[in-house]
Amino acid sequence: MKKSISVLLSAALLAGSLSAADKLVIKGSDTLGAKLVPQVAEAFKAVHPEVAFEIAAEGSTTGIAAITDGTAQIGMSSRRAKPTELSAALAKGVSMKPIIVCYDGMAVIVNEGNPLSQLTLRQVEQIFTGDVTDWSAVGGNPGSFSIYTRNTSSGTYSDWKELAMKKRDYAGSSQKMAGNEQIAAEVAKNPNGIGYVGLAYVHAPSIKVVGILGKDGKVALPSDETVQAKTYPYARPTFFYTNGEPSGLTAEFVEYMLGAEGQAMVKKVGFVPVGKQ
Amino acid sequence: MRQFPTALLALVGGIALTAATAMAQDSGPLVDLLVKKGLINDQEAEEIRSELSKDFAANTSAGKLSLGSHLTEFKLGGDVRLRHQYQTTRDQETTSTKLATTNRTRERFRFRLNGDFLMQKGWSAGFALETAPASDSGNQTYENGGDDYGLSLARAYVGWQPRNDLKFVAGKQRNPLYTTELSWDGDINPQGLSEIYTLALGGKDTLEFRALQSIMDDNNEATAGRNGNDAWLFAQQAVFTKYFGTTKLVVAPGFSYTTTSNMSGLTNETPFNGDTIGLALGTFAGELEFGNLGGQANSVKLYWDTSYNFEAGTRVHKVYGLSSAKWNKDPLAYLVGVGYNHGSGKLQGDWGVKLDYRRVGVGAVDPNLNDSDFAFGNLNQSGYKAAVSYNVADFCSLNLAYFLTSDLRETLKQSAVAKLDKSSILQIDLVTKF
Repeated sequence: MKKSISVLLSAALLAGSLSAADKLVIKGSDTLGAKLVPQVAEAFKAVHPEVAFEIAAEGSTTGIAAITDGTAQIGMSSRRAKPTELSAALAKGVSMKPIIVCYDGMAVIVNEGNPLSQLTLRQVEQIFTGDVTDWSAVGGNPGSFSIYTRNTSSGTYSDWKELAMKKRDYAGSSQKMAGNEQIAAEVAKNPNGIGYVGLAYVHAPSIKVVGILGKDGKVALPSDETVQAKTYPYARPTFFYTNGEPSGLTAEFVEYMLGAEGQAMVKKVGFVPVGKQ
Repeated sequence: MRQFPTALLALVGGIALTAATAMAQDSGPLVDLLVKKGLINDQEAEEIRSELSKDFAANTSAGKLSLGSHLTEFKLGGDVRLRHQYQTTRDQETTSTKLATTNRTRERFRFRLNGDFLMQKGWSAGFALETAPASDSGNQTYENGGDDYGLSLARAYVGWQPRNDLKFVAGKQRNPLYTTELSWDGDINPQGLSEIYTLALGGKDTLEFRALQSIMDDNNEATAGRNGNDAWLFAQQAVFTKYFGTTKLVVAPGFSYTTTSNMSGLTNETPFNGDTIGLALGTFAGELEFGNLGGQANSVKLYWDTSYNFEAGTRVHKVYGLSSAKWNKDPLAYLVGVGYNHGSGKLQGDWGVKLDYRRVGVGAVDPNLNDSDFAFGNLNQSGYKAAVSYNVADFCSLNLAYFLTSDLRETLKQSAVAKLDKSSILQIDLVTKF
């Protein structure tokens, strides 16, 4: 009898907590927030119809800032929080907790009419930093590069600098785009275009993915296998950030995201699941 | 949710935090290695990274420093120099009676604080604060019953290096020219624009072209004549550096010209307030350094400098007012010196000695730019500088310098910048860098 009462009380408390905090605010990365998280949220709502979501995908920086400011329960980020961001959060009594939700491979894309099929790590660095300015310098048809990058609030923008450009500055001629889709669209239109997008966007029309010739002499393309095996050089984890250990509805959604249903969607959208840890 | 791996955090964090502040941020490769070895998974690695960063931010001084993300490097440093100085001077006589020698001791100090910022896209900026406002000295003599002393802004500049071989600097800046104390006091920071183009010649060999446009004094253009012109110094120089194994040769021919103007209000050691005409200087400085002697970081350096004023006649006779019948224009100055460094000069126990001879003709150099310690910046002098230094710690040195000068020509008519008969200065310094 006591056990039954206890179960009933627990159920009532859970129901109460859901109804009291029935809105989940998620802000941050466009990489995660454009497709994946809205789809997972829809699936979660099917199980918890009382939950409302507010999702804003305006860049990883905004997601981390939202946790610091307390304006979101989950901050989406395609990059690690910087020490200065962790410090700023601590100053406000916020302890950032990173949770890897999936992996991504940043693919180098060119127009489908471009004859090049591969670039070396060094050539990628040279192109995006502006060390070279013409396709002929990397074995392509003559013509100046049109470089498309993400904007500065994007985690992908920072990650690309770290992974592909040895933390150097972007070429002054590079054009900043709001999201992956915009980069893919511009490269699709421009025969001299080059950019980078997450794995979920490599199947956009009129673009193709360029292989990366590594120091081991092997050409790597971004895929589930190469990202999981960490053999693709531009692979990275993507994160949810929460204020401390997640609890309540936030914890439920994070668990769902990391669970079988959430990770199936990760794969369906084009990212690489976390897998067995 | 996975539990945080406390033992591993303790291991990694302990190593990082107990070793040094910097290690907390540099432990990424260690965490990556633990992942690679399968000791922790990616999620645990992220939590360790995050905790280390938080500890760094919360428990270290450096972690609390917030710098703009556009900064790629910030260097803050400086030094404090304590000096005991004993000096003697005697002016040239104007009659047959010899003037007395004056003696003076001075207890002095100099404080300097430098900040240099490197930013993205080749931009830089910086500042320097130091005691005393004079252009050629940061020394402050202890005086006035223990009054506190002011700080002056010795540098404030913006730099831009669009390419590795090209650099521009604007503002009050470090001297961009290759110079010796013969014609340019080491404390003087020019103000204006400078450009350096570097031609790589293979190996470490280079040919640099340096140019400086420095405003020396501002005048009100509403005033008629040269008193209404700003005074500008235009200097150009080629600096050729060639290595022969461990031997380095530097030769630096140059030319500088000061525009027609009139300067006033100068506070340097021996200021010349007046016309700027008659300063067209051809210079040739250089050094030959034999490095790595005895397989150590010891070196012997021969160094030299010369200055020839192509308009010395105008300078001496019209500007300084010295009679052309009694004074020749004396357009030549030169310096030759030799030095030995035992060690690199950066480590405890390193020491060095050097000795140079200088001759400064009355028309040869700009008295507002030359070394303020050699004959107190006076012209018409020759003499020696001997110096010894010893590093009592990596960051602290004990230095001794002695200057001894006498006039090149006996007085025929005094001038503000050539009135000195003899001088000596003994300086004993304790310099601590921070």
